[in-house]
Amino acid sequence: MSDSDSISNQLNTRGRWPIFIAMCVLAATIIYPLFFVVVTSLRSNVDYKRDPFGLPTDWTVDNYFKLWDEYGVGRAFLNSLFVSMSAVTLILIFATLAGYALAKLPVFGAKYFTATFVSVMLIPGPVLIIPIYLVLARLGIVGDYAGLILVYLATGLPFAIFFLTLTFRAIPEEILDAAKVDGAGFFRTLWSIVRPMGASGIATLAVLQFLGTWNELIFALILIPDAKMKLLTPTLASIGKRFVTDQPLTSAGLFITALVPLLLLTFASKYIMRGLQVGLSR
Amino acid sequence: MMRQSKLIGTLAVLPAFFIVAGFMAFPIMFALYISFTKTNGLTFDWIWFKNYTDIFVDPIVHQVFLNNFKFIISVPLVIFTALITAILLFERFRGWKFFRVIFFLPNVLSVAVIGLIFRNAFGYDGAVNQFLGLFGVEPIQFFINANYSIFIIILALVWSGFGYQSLLLLAGLTSINPAVFEAAAIDGAGWWRRLWSITLPNIRKVLGFVFIINILYTFASLFGFVFVMTAGGPGYETTTIDFLVYLRAFSSNNLGSGAALAVVLFIFIGLLTLVQNRVFRLQKED
Repeated sequence: MSDSDSISNQLNTRGRWPIFIAMCVLAATIIYPLFFVVVTSLRSNVDYKRDPFGLPTDWTVDNYFKLWDEYGVGRAFLNSLFVSMSAVTLILIFATLAGYALAKLPVFGAKYFTATFVSVMLIPGPVLIIPIYLVLARLGIVGDYAGLILVYLATGLPFAIFFLTLTFRAIPEEILDAAKVDGAGFFRTLWSIVRPMGASGIATLAVLQFLGTWNELIFALILIPDAKMKLLTPTLASIGKRFVTDQPLTSAGLFITALVPLLLLTFASKYIMRGLQVGLSR
Repeated sequence: MMRQSKLIGTLAVLPAFFIVAGFMAFPIMFALYISFTKTNGLTFDWIWFKNYTDIFVDPIVHQVFLNNFKFIISVPLVIFTALITAILLFERFRGWKFFRVIFFLPNVLSVAVIGLIFRNAFGYDGAVNQFLGLFGVEPIQFFINANYSIFIIILALVWSGFGYQSLLLLAGLTSINPAVFEAAAIDGAGWWRRLWSITLPNIRKVLGFVFIINILYTFASLFGFVFVMTAGGPGYETTTIDFLVYLRAFSSNNLGSGAALAVVLFIFIGLLTLVQNRVFRLQKED
């Protein structure tokens, strides 16, 4: 640590050791349960009950095969991937259009559009389940991915638009003016200037929205009743209920569900941490 | 030319607006309408305030509201843990950025995953019972006891929530002008004194924000935990308002009752948000 860092309320080097140790203990309370899940998922139930805290005597990936093939987890994984990717793609498209317009173009009644988006941002999911279910039932798209994707789109868009409006405001006016002089139209400007210049903001948003839809439980549960079409989180929840006494099996399900978010955190933590700052400013 | 670009701008906002209006704003209005009717989803009989008066005398609803208040115990616990973590992270010891990512980790996991990790850990043959067994304690059926169940859900809330909130608080700490600390240090104020008189007062705004989002969580985001860990039981002892809305919606023949409950929850959360805005504005003015 250089001297320039010691300007905040900081302790000397000797005072820091206890802090470092306290942080390690705290970090262990996060890491150990996850480590325990992974190890447990790689053993048989008999082996787990014999010595749960030790390492497995027989390492096995049977639990994963069983879940993936026999209990529909493989299909659910792919279903979730499809729904999340579709929802995120559509959110990015609509939010980019709206965000760019609200940030840089004159819009009729812009104030009212923004007010609508902001005011619905904090509506909690439980308030919406009954009316959304009835609306989708009336449209005949309950049990259809289209309905679920539409719901993810509607619940994701307000924050996405807010986020991208802030991102796109930072694009210098002169560059947009120059593009206009060169005769670039709306879509041309969006694709050649706004998209590359807002790339890191768009990436951050994509990661956050993907995590949100991948992890969502309540709408995935009520809007997709068909077992073959079920998404991953409801499938995991029902496996957890069915196999209360088979912890290795449920652990494997937990790890499969957690894997994609954990990979995202590993490789895109820069984007996730950046999104956090904007989350605070709202 | 101006007119034309205004038209283009408006057209670009409209698709998103229609989706949000149709599937967020309209459903809220629709929920309000449903709450004044007796309905099975197909036929709607207008019954004025009967669903509301029924809720207010329903002993189950009373119990469920009380349950939600029990979960408020988690708020000081999360904030306290988050605050300590933030203050320690602010020391910028070696590797603090790495710890930041570790503490944030539970936030990228689904509530279904977190809930099941805790349900497994406190299950009959789970890690906690196995650990207690090493000391000769008989296995405990944690989830048939309401108090244990609530305690475990609170533990899950603290475990999964403190990291994100410590980062929010850390952002608040980082925005304090370093010159203030320097001046205090020159005046001979020690670490504890600076913590108490400078650090904490300067982040009271962020603390207020964190406080409100925690209250919001305990009223509108417990569904996942309750669903995978206790299914509301034993009896209704761990049922929260959002879980009761779900139960009423999909296991009773009057959706109106569930909708009325949802509207009450919505109004409650709206009021909290207003209070939050009011408090923030007051602090901006002084």
